[in-house]
Amino acid sequence: MSGQSVDITSPEANGKPVIEFKGVSKTYQNGTHALNDINITINQGEFVFVVGSSGAGKSTFMKLIMREEKANTGTITVNGFKLNKLKRKNVPLLRRTMGIVFQDFRLIPKMNVFDNVAFAMHVVGASGREIRREVSKALSAVGLGDKARSMPNELSGGEQQRVGLARALVNHPDLIIADEPTGNVDPNMSYEIVSMLTAINKQGTTVLMVTHDHSLVRDFKHRVIMLDGGRIVADNAAGGDD
Amino acid sequence: MKLSSVKYLTKEGFRNTWANRLMSVASVGVLVACMVAIGLAILISENAKLALGNLEKQNVVMAYMKDYTWAFYSDNAKDAKPADSSSKEKADKNGIKSSDYVIHTKEEAELLCSEIEQLDNVESVEYISGEEGLKSMKEGVLKDQEQYFSFLDEKYGNPLSGAAKITMKNMEYFDATLEKIENMEGIDVVQSHGDLAEKISAIKNGLAIAGFWIISILMIISLVIVSNTIRITMYSRKLEISIMKAVGATNSFVRIPFIVEGVLLGVISAVLSEGILYFCYRVATEAITKTLGTTDIIMYSELAPVLFMIFVGIGIVAGVVGSAIMISKYLHKEGSEFAAI
Repeated sequence: MSGQSVDITSPEANGKPVIEFKGVSKTYQNGTHALNDINITINQGEFVFVVGSSGAGKSTFMKLIMREEKANTGTITVNGFKLNKLKRKNVPLLRRTMGIVFQDFRLIPKMNVFDNVAFAMHVVGASGREIRREVSKALSAVGLGDKARSMPNELSGGEQQRVGLARALVNHPDLIIADEPTGNVDPNMSYEIVSMLTAINKQGTTVLMVTHDHSLVRDFKHRVIMLDGGRIVADNAAGGDD
Repeated sequence: MKLSSVKYLTKEGFRNTWANRLMSVASVGVLVACMVAIGLAILISENAKLALGNLEKQNVVMAYMKDYTWAFYSDNAKDAKPADSSSKEKADKNGIKSSDYVIHTKEEAELLCSEIEQLDNVESVEYISGEEGLKSMKEGVLKDQEQYFSFLDEKYGNPLSGAAKITMKNMEYFDATLEKIENMEGIDVVQSHGDLAEKISAIKNGLAIAGFWIISILMIISLVIVSNTIRITMYSRKLEISIMKAVGATNSFVRIPFIVEGVLLGVISAVLSEGILYFCYRVATEAITKTLGTTDIIMYSELAPVLFMIFVGIGIVAGVVGSAIMISKYLHKEGSEFAAI
């Protein structure tokens, strides 16, 4: 699929910031300077690729958004939550506003597909009826409506990632964070997954995706933020691999 | 937290117990061993207390009264010539007047007995007349020397005064009670086995202290076992916990299934321990009764409810505290930190 150009129309961001970094720096306790003076705004409805080599600061950038780490300096606002002031007990509330897709799928092996997706709804205290309805819809949306009773080990890598995607979508979050979602799947499936994320984005959900795959960045014309040495070295709103 | 969440989490706790059944069986096994040991310690201690209690009951105190016999044999009374020559009171053939002694009649003796019975630490009091006392002494410990007492009896009459036979409730207050009895009007001397009382009291205290430590140590062991089981369970489920946290689970949401699991293991262990202990105790008591012929053994049914409550208590405390301690260590981990555990 590499080289194929995908015709997509980016939805218009409505201007309301979903993610805002102002003068953010992060240094770990071992002295590693992961991010230096990051200033960036991602608006609602945007699809953003975050690219960069290993050690560029992508993971730290994502961890700060998910509030797995705290910035040393600067302010971060995500979905209206001011992360510097966010108390530990309120972190779950922040995370419920986002759906997270992991590179390694992170499905619970002893739960079937339905339960893996339903799991995210139990966390927010949804009723049994809501769970049945929404999980079925989410699984159909990722093309796995007929695999609800399958166990994760019975699925291919691509299918497992689609279950992960369904789990991220099922609570209708405002923001999807995908940390190298195509890292463990074949190129065809990579395109399929990014196409699905794009379709979700078209409905107004902001998508932030970390990737190493230049062909995806080139073919899906979304905004690209490039990190290097803990700094933003490029922010190409037009997208592409330039 | 919503009811649907509570139901889901409780169900998860049960499901997890079954899903990790090998680990569950292992922890129930060790918990049962601890609980049975605690139960045995309690049963042995209670039976020892019963045996000591019986011994205490046998440790009677004889309080001899200042009655006619006392006056007759007492040097003071015997030498007492008419103390007050102006008194119209006449001395009897032995030269003893009624003012020379305190207890004149059986009624007065019984009244004194009931006064003694009013004392706090006195369990029971029985009046033993001089005649009864002599008879029992002849039949009892000094059987071989009966002729010696017969000699006394024939020549001077019965040498024994009437006495109050007193049983005390608690040997710990033995000396204080004894002092009160000795100071009572109408009491001459008190015959007691103070050293035995002291020993019984010391053994009882020793048993209580030993029991406390044995039970405390076993309870701590139970706690450590459950904590360890939950730690291993959590280690094997760190993926699940990391996902839970990533999708916005609160700490209590993560915690509850593990606590349910801990409580469930505790309750299962309590039921099994009660059954095993009942069976073992029954076999042991039957053997003891047949061999020693004693019936001074506590029936299991008397202690069964208490033991069960203790077991369930241990199980629940071990489950809740153990899981709470272990979970709090994991709850502070975030995302990739789980991979490093």
